[in-house]
Amino acid sequence: MLKYFVVLIIITSELFTLELVVVGDKNFPENNLTKQTIKAFFLDKKRFIGESKVLVMNHEHENPLRICFEKNILEKSKKSLERYWRKAYYQGKRPPKIISSNEMLFLYLQSVQPSIGYVEFNATLDKELKVLYRIGCE
Amino acid sequence: MRYLFIYYLICSNFLSANDYGWDIPNTSVNIDSYLDMTYDEKREDKFLFNDIAFLFSSRRERFDILAEVELSHISLEGKSNNSSDIDLNVERLQLNYTLNDKQSFQIGCFKSDIGYWNQAPILILQNTTTKPHTVGNFFPEATCGLLYRYNLNDENSLSFTFQDNPDISHQDGVINVERHTALAYYGANDDLSWRFSVGEYKEDNSIEADYIGIGSRYDADKFDIQAEFFVQDSEISDEKPYSAYLQPTWHFKENHDAVLRFESYKDKTLEVKENIYLLGYVYRPNSNIALKAEYVHHTKLPLNRFVYSFSVLF
Repeated sequence: MLKYFVVLIIITSELFTLELVVVGDKNFPENNLTKQTIKAFFLDKKRFIGESKVLVMNHEHENPLRICFEKNILEKSKKSLERYWRKAYYQGKRPPKIISSNEMLFLYLQSVQPSIGYVEFNATLDKELKVLYRIGCE
Repeated sequence: MRYLFIYYLICSNFLSANDYGWDIPNTSVNIDSYLDMTYDEKREDKFLFNDIAFLFSSRRERFDILAEVELSHISLEGKSNNSSDIDLNVERLQLNYTLNDKQSFQIGCFKSDIGYWNQAPILILQNTTTKPHTVGNFFPEATCGLLYRYNLNDENSLSFTFQDNPDISHQDGVINVERHTALAYYGANDDLSWRFSVGEYKEDNSIEADYIGIGSRYDADKFDIQAEFFVQDSEISDEKPYSAYLQPTWHFKENHDAVLRFESYKDKTLEVKENIYLLGYVYRPNSNIALKAEYVHHTKLPLNRFVYSFSVLF
């Protein structure tokens, strides 16, 4: 009985684990990105890929995807990011463009190239885009 | 009128906490501003509005423009009624051009790409009101010339600074130069970063000097540590052989930080070799406002004192 219970818990937790994917437009010049490069884009330390400026998109503050992204990819707390952006603003850096929905993200990915953002894996299944990085949310 | 204006700025900040600046609609222009006031019991004007500054920035495809105009040293004790006491400075006026993901150029007057402190030298961005001795004594804080940056990869970059003309304005208490060349390296690995710089300059009074500096910073969620060490060699004498500091900050509670700073320097013009110890506390009710109190202890100079400040970023 205990064995079945443990298996059920594992299956349930697998089902409910949010899987986040960093996506680029369908013609994005790279096929995958490292975590370091993604961090550099989202912290405005890197703005170009080759000769082209990249549009970087982020979700709104309280979005669970953003919370997952900041914890698992940027690996920074909210306060730590606050400290970072305070200095970065003075240096002329600017945070990514905020988008309010997945639909908006997909629209930008279709119309602006190169562009990147992130979304839940299941939302990408019928879309023409490139998955550049994949991570499970803890 | 002056106080009404400052009151307005502070109130508007409380209303728009956690936002920085104002994006002018339908343009790429952003306007930020900051102000800070300090109380220093050893200074002639104990209360000072150190800075009221405005930052203008505009970002285009490859070009970025950044300007910082600062009104500084406004005494709260009436002495600045004489307008000559108030300084209006163009702190930065720079044009950046990004060639590609590897190379960029910067032209104009900008903060020298030397050391950590100099990258964000305003009060609201630092954890102490007083600056370490290293800052402002070993290299020109500003450069009016050209900077070329080459990104080795996402976390490592080299920059070359070149100036061969006088600064646009002569300011007291800073190194004013008519020539400055420097090479700087910045590297990082996750939360740890390091900087190395080497340079030479000629002051507008013809004194020439070379400097070398190293620094490192570790940023964690609960604390950060920053350390810098500079040496200088001047052609007329070995005036400032070394200066170093180590500054840990402990983010012990949300919005509350404790700061320590250990400094050591030798200055032959002042004939002093001493250590400075600082213990400070920072309260940030939101990310745009900082209230700081610190005690500074000098082992030689009679400058032991309490210093307080209030700073706001809009």
